[in-house]
Amino acid sequence: MKAVKGKFYFGGVHPHDMKDLCKGAPIEALPPPAEAAISTAQSLGKPAAPIVEVGAKVKIGTKIAEAQGPISSDVFSSVCGEVTEIKEMTGASGGKEQFIIIRNDGSDEKEYLPPLDHPTSDEIKARIKDAGIVGLGGAGFPVAVKVAPRTPVDTLIINGAECEPYLTCDYRLMLEKTDEIARGARYIAQALGVNDIIIGIEGNKPDCIEKFEPYPDIKVVILKKQYPMGGEKQLIYVTTGRRVGLGKLPADSGVVVQNVATAFAVCEAVELGKPLFERVLTVSGKAVVTPKNLLVKLGTSIKDIVAFCGGQSENAELEKIVQGGPMTGVALANYDAYTHKTTSGVLLMTPEEADTRAPSNCLNCGKCADVCPMHLMPMNTAFYANAGDYDAAAKYGGVLACIECGACEYTCPAKRPLIQAIRKAKSELRKKK
Amino acid sequence: MDKSVVVSTPPHVKSRRTTRNIMLDVIIALIPCCICGIVFFGWKAAVIEIISVISCVAAEFVYFFIAHGGFAKKCKNAKEVCVNWIKQFDFTSIITGIILAMIVPVPETAKYFGYMIGGIVIGSVFSIAVVKMIFGGTGKNLVNPAAAGRVFMFLSFTVAMTSYSAPLFGAVSSADAGLLQSGATNLSGEGFLLSDGFSPLSPLDLFLGSGVYGCIGETCKIAIIVGYLYLAVRKVIKWWQPVLFLGIFGFVAVFLSGFTFDKYTFDMGLYLPHVLSGGVMFAAVFMFTDYVSSPKGVYGQLVYVIVGAVLLAVLRHFTGIEVASFVILFMNLFVPLIDKYIRRKPFGYVKEKKVKKEGN
Repeated sequence: MKAVKGKFYFGGVHPHDMKDLCKGAPIEALPPPAEAAISTAQSLGKPAAPIVEVGAKVKIGTKIAEAQGPISSDVFSSVCGEVTEIKEMTGASGGKEQFIIIRNDGSDEKEYLPPLDHPTSDEIKARIKDAGIVGLGGAGFPVAVKVAPRTPVDTLIINGAECEPYLTCDYRLMLEKTDEIARGARYIAQALGVNDIIIGIEGNKPDCIEKFEPYPDIKVVILKKQYPMGGEKQLIYVTTGRRVGLGKLPADSGVVVQNVATAFAVCEAVELGKPLFERVLTVSGKAVVTPKNLLVKLGTSIKDIVAFCGGQSENAELEKIVQGGPMTGVALANYDAYTHKTTSGVLLMTPEEADTRAPSNCLNCGKCADVCPMHLMPMNTAFYANAGDYDAAAKYGGVLACIECGACEYTCPAKRPLIQAIRKAKSELRKKK
Repeated sequence: MDKSVVVSTPPHVKSRRTTRNIMLDVIIALIPCCICGIVFFGWKAAVIEIISVISCVAAEFVYFFIAHGGFAKKCKNAKEVCVNWIKQFDFTSIITGIILAMIVPVPETAKYFGYMIGGIVIGSVFSIAVVKMIFGGTGKNLVNPAAAGRVFMFLSFTVAMTSYSAPLFGAVSSADAGLLQSGATNLSGEGFLLSDGFSPLSPLDLFLGSGVYGCIGETCKIAIIVGYLYLAVRKVIKWWQPVLFLGIFGFVAVFLSGFTFDKYTFDMGLYLPHVLSGGVMFAAVFMFTDYVSSPKGVYGQLVYVIVGAVLLAVLRHFTGIEVASFVILFMNLFVPLIDKYIRRKPFGYVKEKKVKKEGN
């Protein structure tokens, strides 16, 4: 359908998008790693429990860990070989995670699920669950839960905003796998029983918009180039005009949001029977020799990924290694980390890119409140949280509604560590409950 | 890896805007006013400006030096303290110095000029040391330092602070020169705007500042507008704040001055003389928009600007003098209250429901 402009949204920042670094690089498949370390904590909620033992032979796509509880997802092997170890290691987020380590024997024997032809709604739902698909946008919410909403839903929104700077993996996917994404979106819509499919794409990707326009059943909405346009609540408001209430799920407003990468994964799971064990991610930043978009197997070490892209640039100083996007990603202490289902990028940033200037006094300029997409008062939160009064932080700063997009800290002229204070306040408040 | 990398919370990229950068923009925006002041009032204006800036920066330095132990251990750390001061110096004291110089007049007689020089030094030290540094420096002060300094000087050196001199050029043709000296520019005295609802000066003269008695930086409105445009384009201030302020102020002032005639008349012809007279415009652009002492939220800023404008018009009408600094001080004291209670509702806020955490 012909593209239409999205609604005006008040708030947000305009970071330098830096997508040119990696925009032209087609998706390349990274050779399978010699050893894959797959974490069992691949989604929100409980980590999965390993169902293989040390010494067991696994194939590509063999289920190696089973979901625990309603919000959890199955984990599949990404290589063919032998399980050598199951151990606890520190994950990227800093907490302890259980890793299943598989040595690759070089063969590519597969163990896929049976492909589905003209599946019914229930079959798709079951397949999404069996293939262990999670939201690939960043939060990693199990899709199986999202496609079984408690309230009636009438619209499916596919999130092609990719508002994070640097990342181009969704952009490349939309260009190269347009048809698969459209089919995946239709499968999700069929599972949900909805007819309206909307895809939101930021205006800085005109070629993607052009690619999606020919589909008669998909409505294309052009989003303003603004961060965080891909935030769930912001995207819903801009594309449909609905406001998701505080503490409510999008399904309560009759909407389900899925990332383009998720739609692609659903399409592959349904048509090829392929479980989720690989994803596209962006390797970028000025400290890496050749920025690339890679199709990476789950559990590949960051070291291998960086080495494949030519390694760390000789004449550029490395200031930060970031797993994920620059606005919400996790800064790593070294290269010893492994990809997750939700890893959307690996960034090697130089000191010019990664701003690590020391904070100065708050100026009370109010710029953080102006850009807050949730219309909160981050400076009040930071002020009360630093003083230890977390209830006041919730009352006067509205910290509990914060989506941690990082727009406030991005814009702060005094470089105050606002997100740190917000996270502190949130965790303290959660402890109290 | 040979060099360790930095680990921190996101976001890992930040805007190029810094405190220094913003303050530098404000200084650039004030430069037209400085130059116009010197052009209009001669070398005396330049002397006042320079002394004001130097004494403000010196006051900040001395306070910092003492507070950070520059004199401790027989001045052992003196060098280190100086280096630290330069590192954290963010131009705010320069701005205070310039603004303070902009809102004082140039006295004509040597005696009062001497008083003014002494007054500006004391006023600067008061602004920086007492109003700003004691509370914790940049960003921590409760009230606008320049406004507080001006009020302090006004109450201590009332005669020097109200002895205006004529600009170097521009004929004082439309009114009697002797009468003009009796009050703040075009405002009070026999047959003037605030007492008789009559402006002896044409709006064009007021706009250009030619032939108008007034303070160094407040006289030439073109310079102020240039500064305003620069600040608005650079997005240092919100463009609507001064516009809204002057708009509301003008209407209330015209409404009130209607009472000074025998029969009540609402004369919109007085709109421009009211807005262009005195220091309202300068205050609206450079002082009401001060980050530190104005509210942080958009609605808070709206309330602040509207209440401030009405209050200024009312007080100016009944006192007959320029009270912008007093109004700024008065409004500044309400800012913590405004910040606390006038907030934007979070996106998706529903009134009946309690605010609860979203499960991502």
